[in-house]
Amino acid sequence: MQIFVNTNYDFVKYRFVAVAFSLIWMLVGFSLFMKHGINWGIDFAGGANIVLKFKDQVPMNKLRADLADASIQQYGKPEDREILIRLPKQRTEIDLAGQVVDRLFRDLNPPAATGKLDLNYHGRERLTDLLASLDPDNKGTRPDARAYYAQVAQNIINKRSELGIFTNMQQATSAPGVTTGIARILNERTYLGSFNVRNQETVGPQVGRELQQKAIWAVVLSTLAMGAYLWLRFDFMFGIAAVVCIVHDVLVSLAFIGIINGEFSLNIVAALLLIVGYSINDTVVTYDRVRENRRKLKTRATLEEQLNLAMNQTLSRTLLTSGTVIIVLIALILFGGKVIHEFAMVLLVGVIAGTYSTVTIVPAVAIAWNHLTGRKHDIAGPAARPRVEPTPREETPTRKRKAV
Amino acid sequence: MNRSLWWKVILILAVLVAFTAPIIPTKNNPEPIRRGLDLKGGTHLVMRVNVGDALRIETDQAAEALKSQSTKNNLPVPTTRRINDTTFVARPPAGISTAEYERLAKDYLPSFDMSRTPDGALQFKMKAVSASAIERDTIDHAVETIRNRVDALGVTEPLIAPESGNRIVIQLPGVDDPARVKDIIRTTAQLQFRLVEGNPGPDVKSALETVPANLKNEVDVLPGTREDELGRAAGTEFYAVRKTIPVTGTDLKNARVQKGRLGEPNVGFSLTPDGGRKFGDLTGANVGRRLAIVLDNKVVSAPRINSKIEDQGVIEGSFTTQQAADLALVLRSGSLPASLTTMEERTVGPSLGRDSIRQGVRAALIGFIALVLAVLFYYKGAGINAILALLLNLVIILGMMAIFKATLTLPGIAGIILTLGMAVDSNVLVFERIREERRDGRTVRAAIENGFSRAFGTIIDTHMTTIISALFLFQFGTGPIKGFAVTLLIGLFASVFTAFFVSRVIFDFWYKPQERPQTISI
Repeated sequence: MQIFVNTNYDFVKYRFVAVAFSLIWMLVGFSLFMKHGINWGIDFAGGANIVLKFKDQVPMNKLRADLADASIQQYGKPEDREILIRLPKQRTEIDLAGQVVDRLFRDLNPPAATGKLDLNYHGRERLTDLLASLDPDNKGTRPDARAYYAQVAQNIINKRSELGIFTNMQQATSAPGVTTGIARILNERTYLGSFNVRNQETVGPQVGRELQQKAIWAVVLSTLAMGAYLWLRFDFMFGIAAVVCIVHDVLVSLAFIGIINGEFSLNIVAALLLIVGYSINDTVVTYDRVRENRRKLKTRATLEEQLNLAMNQTLSRTLLTSGTVIIVLIALILFGGKVIHEFAMVLLVGVIAGTYSTVTIVPAVAIAWNHLTGRKHDIAGPAARPRVEPTPREETPTRKRKAV
Repeated sequence: MNRSLWWKVILILAVLVAFTAPIIPTKNNPEPIRRGLDLKGGTHLVMRVNVGDALRIETDQAAEALKSQSTKNNLPVPTTRRINDTTFVARPPAGISTAEYERLAKDYLPSFDMSRTPDGALQFKMKAVSASAIERDTIDHAVETIRNRVDALGVTEPLIAPESGNRIVIQLPGVDDPARVKDIIRTTAQLQFRLVEGNPGPDVKSALETVPANLKNEVDVLPGTREDELGRAAGTEFYAVRKTIPVTGTDLKNARVQKGRLGEPNVGFSLTPDGGRKFGDLTGANVGRRLAIVLDNKVVSAPRINSKIEDQGVIEGSFTTQQAADLALVLRSGSLPASLTTMEERTVGPSLGRDSIRQGVRAALIGFIALVLAVLFYYKGAGINAILALLLNLVIILGMMAIFKATLTLPGIAGIILTLGMAVDSNVLVFERIREERRDGRTVRAAIENGFSRAFGTIIDTHMTTIISALFLFQFGTGPIKGFAVTLLIGLFASVFTAFFVSRVIFDFWYKPQERPQTISI
């Protein structure tokens, strides 16, 4: 299948419309930032995130009473009975998530005071210790006794991971390797607590501050590095156009975060860094074509004409490549789960912005620069022709020639 | 078919085998590609070592040394006061010249710079070289101790590495009980045996009142747990203990949990030969008195010395079995030279890890299938070529990760599939060129030749820009994001090879020059 063969769209004509559109988009995004304030996630703001999965109904009121300064919200679908607890930054470095989880564990589980083991909360090690010390299967002091119980404990925990949380003791006692003796211990000495910790994160105030600075530097420096590389490989005008294009793509993506009121996390910064490197690809391909054509063109051509020609020649490739990446990103957005959802969304916007800016923003900057510097990038020729023939005929087909 | 093509085919097959072999799970290596904490579950901790603690101890010891040397040299003992972690001031009694003390300091405090305060006292400040040496030692020692403890917990493949800013990064895959692990890692476990003066009391003042007046400056008052007749914890009481510490945790040879008379758990310890001698001297000379067992500045118990003890003893307290086991573990692994502060923690429970890997792999598979269909639909025969190149790229990424023991994270899985999506670009660039050449009337062979050679420069440029940003990503990121950068980097390098070399060989194989092919499916 072939689409966009020998097209002859006048891209540069629409560049001001596009610039206006981009500016409006950014304006909307950034005014929303102004309105909501920047939503720094705990990676940068410091604080703690805790995700808990509950066995029964989530005791929302009790949680809210217990954790006055926390924001508590449902995480995922209601039937998952999962909640995300977000705790604000503390002034000192403390083990915030750990302390809160420990407090909730004691508050929400009356049997915890008896010293019994909570099969939904405690881990493999403690279960191994319990089983090995009571030794229901009479393994005695044989060296492999502990390994035997450790394996059973691992099986029970694996079962829990598979289910998400145990809702009745049968589920635990039906794990592989559980003998009647072990089952008796489980029934007598353990209980099923009300929640399981899916995830807990604490970022201290200092680390948060450092990450924030590191993130800003990484984005700025990689943009400049990219501009420098393209300046070296092409010319100064293109280096400038490329940097403007990258800044545009990053700003459009940032504005998108503002529009959806998304949270700045490490993953989002990773997405921005990737946009810096990837969205410029289309621009490189196009400009490569401009340069190649320049060597072949025998006729007069303004920069506008050169750009239009190159963009039409590479249009099919541009759309197809962006298309494949977009297909992959849509798969990640739909099926990748909560952790990479926003990452993939921002990347999607960045990739689309990258493709769009290649045919709008880059020409706008390059043409403006060309006008300001006395039209050095126009090619003088004997006469202007309506349509420029892209490939010269005299070249022999077998001769290898680098495009550089 | 000509010889050089054969060699190329053999090379490609060799690459295929070389990178497939490491990713096949074997009995010895059931998990050829290491899963990151976010997929496996586990804990990532960044702890700051409070090196100030170690500096303070060093400064205090220097002050004590100055005092004891004064006594030895028949000089009046100066009063000392520590100003900060590395500085203390010594003030001789009124009317005594500082000259003699300066001489002592020159001989016995070589790592301190001496100066005079405006009011005639001596100020000692630790030399920067000595301070940084102590800081370095403290970090090394802390890393070593944490490693011992983590190993004793049986964590497989832990990572414990010092970082700038006096920090230690600790990664514990598979740990599903972060609270306990953190407690064990953080316990300073400084064990001291110190003589008790006077009687314990319910507060600091009452404990101090029972101490003879001449010893009041020689004791510290420390809190401890009061026990009732049955040995159960019943509130706090305070003990006045001697400042001199004759025996410490470093004199311990071993520690283990044992059962007391009533079956209650306690910790038995044995001493090194040297420690045993010191312990023998201490207990022999003080039969009938109480000896406080101090752990991290808390009195765990203060039994009466019944007879001279040389090589072993018991630490009793109201422990649960778990607490006794953990105490024995930290005593065996040695004490931390300084306290630790948690700067960052990221714990992923095993159930979330499981869900993440399931979702990640499913999304990647769906993405890959969609990608394959799109390429086949658009390029038909040549699409197969691109897909073979992509598959080889995938094998190379996974193989490289297995060989270099790189960690696969959830963003890493996204990175792999995203890299493949981007790698198609190289094929697209070449194929579009071939199409253009064909439209311009070139023969199939000439179109292939030109397509590859003309797209080369462009492909190098597009890869370079993405590689630059991946390097920044690697430098910036921690954990999962580093994993993403790694897969991206490997994938980009692999895609230059597959898009150029492999894809070219496949074209050469299908459209052999000597057969003068007339049509190409592209």
